[in-house]
Amino acid sequence: MSKEVKTKEKVNMDPKYITTLTVTLLVTCVIVAAALGLVNKVTAGPIAAANLEKTNAALASVFQEASAPEFPEMEVTEEMAAAAGSFSTTVQNVYEAQDGGQLIGHAVKIVASGSQGSIEMVVGIDAEGTVTGVSIVDNAETSGIGSRVMENENGVLDQFAGKSAADGTLTVGSNVDAISGATVSSKGVTAGVNGALAVAGVIG
Amino acid sequence: MNFGKQFKEGLITNNPVLVQVLGMCSTMAITTSFMNGLGMGVAVLIILTASNVVISAIRKIVPDKIRIAMFIVVIAGFVTCVDLLLQAFVPAVAASLGVFIPLIVVNCIILGRAESFCYKNGVGASFVDGICQGIGYTAVLMVMCIIRELLGAGTFGAGLLGPDAKGIQIIPAQFPAGMLTLPVGGFLVLACLIAAMQWALARPKNKEESK
Repeated sequence: MSKEVKTKEKVNMDPKYITTLTVTLLVTCVIVAAALGLVNKVTAGPIAAANLEKTNAALASVFQEASAPEFPEMEVTEEMAAAAGSFSTTVQNVYEAQDGGQLIGHAVKIVASGSQGSIEMVVGIDAEGTVTGVSIVDNAETSGIGSRVMENENGVLDQFAGKSAADGTLTVGSNVDAISGATVSSKGVTAGVNGALAVAGVIG
Repeated sequence: MNFGKQFKEGLITNNPVLVQVLGMCSTMAITTSFMNGLGMGVAVLIILTASNVVISAIRKIVPDKIRIAMFIVVIAGFVTCVDLLLQAFVPAVAASLGVFIPLIVVNCIILGRAESFCYKNGVGASFVDGICQGIGYTAVLMVMCIIRELLGAGTFGAGLLGPDAKGIQIIPAQFPAGMLTLPVGGFLVLACLIAAMQWALARPKNKEESK
């Protein structure tokens, strides 16, 4: 560190020296990038599999009645994105829910903002536009507070099942119960369900 | 190379968290459950040891002017490797540590050791230093996790047996102070630990002075 004290030190503009610095740094970056490429090659498969498994588990849990569920992915249109956006949520994927080839509803993977970051969740909506279930895929809510909403304490997630667009916009305090102390997380989940219902409304 | 001395330094007399007061952010943020502390500690231990070895190996060819940039590139490489490996093979730990794994890049323990130790010492000594400092960091995290989880949630070992496994309830659920699992609790517990450490380290000196 003592070498750094002399702040007025003359900058060495010798082209040879500058080239050495650049080349050294460049070579290091190339080596590191190559090593990362190798690691990525090994891990890309398992990571994709783990994510898919997580999403599939969430999808299955919102359509529990289905005996042979399948979830072909649909294209997310601009209308769907706009519908979700009107509740400050982002729609990630939309899936058709099929039971033995029969269309029984849709599942919307949607991202809402919680108190500590985004809450990623899957909302199942049946053919009549009624919510069949809500499952949290990923969240960063405070352990012991917001996490109580994520863990479905007092059935706070189950209360959304049976709600539909006919109930109007779901609002914490009027037609949705929050977990006390975790209002922001409860509101986040509620916004996600509102967004998903709006997306399902676009699908028809 | 003196393993015993370096081990004692890493764990006690020059503990990265309690004495050097480095890596505060991650220490306070992730020490809410036993498994988090263990996962983070081991991740840092591995990255610290690996980057220590590489940095001390390349220390003679690194131009002085760009050494920090070189260190960061090496550290970032290892952090990304560990992040990808965790996501691929231990997704539960990756999920609960979240953004704090990528943030190890800027964990000052690693850059601090690179600058203050590896840049001046050989590969063997740097390797041992990485392990010892890593163990020191992990040990503090574990102590903090145990205290915060026990007093904050009343449990021990949440997540130890599975991603959603509840810990063993030691204090009945109505008594624990939930505040301790929040950031403010992190500050309080860490402050108490640092104070205890400083008292313990100063004790032999005080005794001599009073004689």
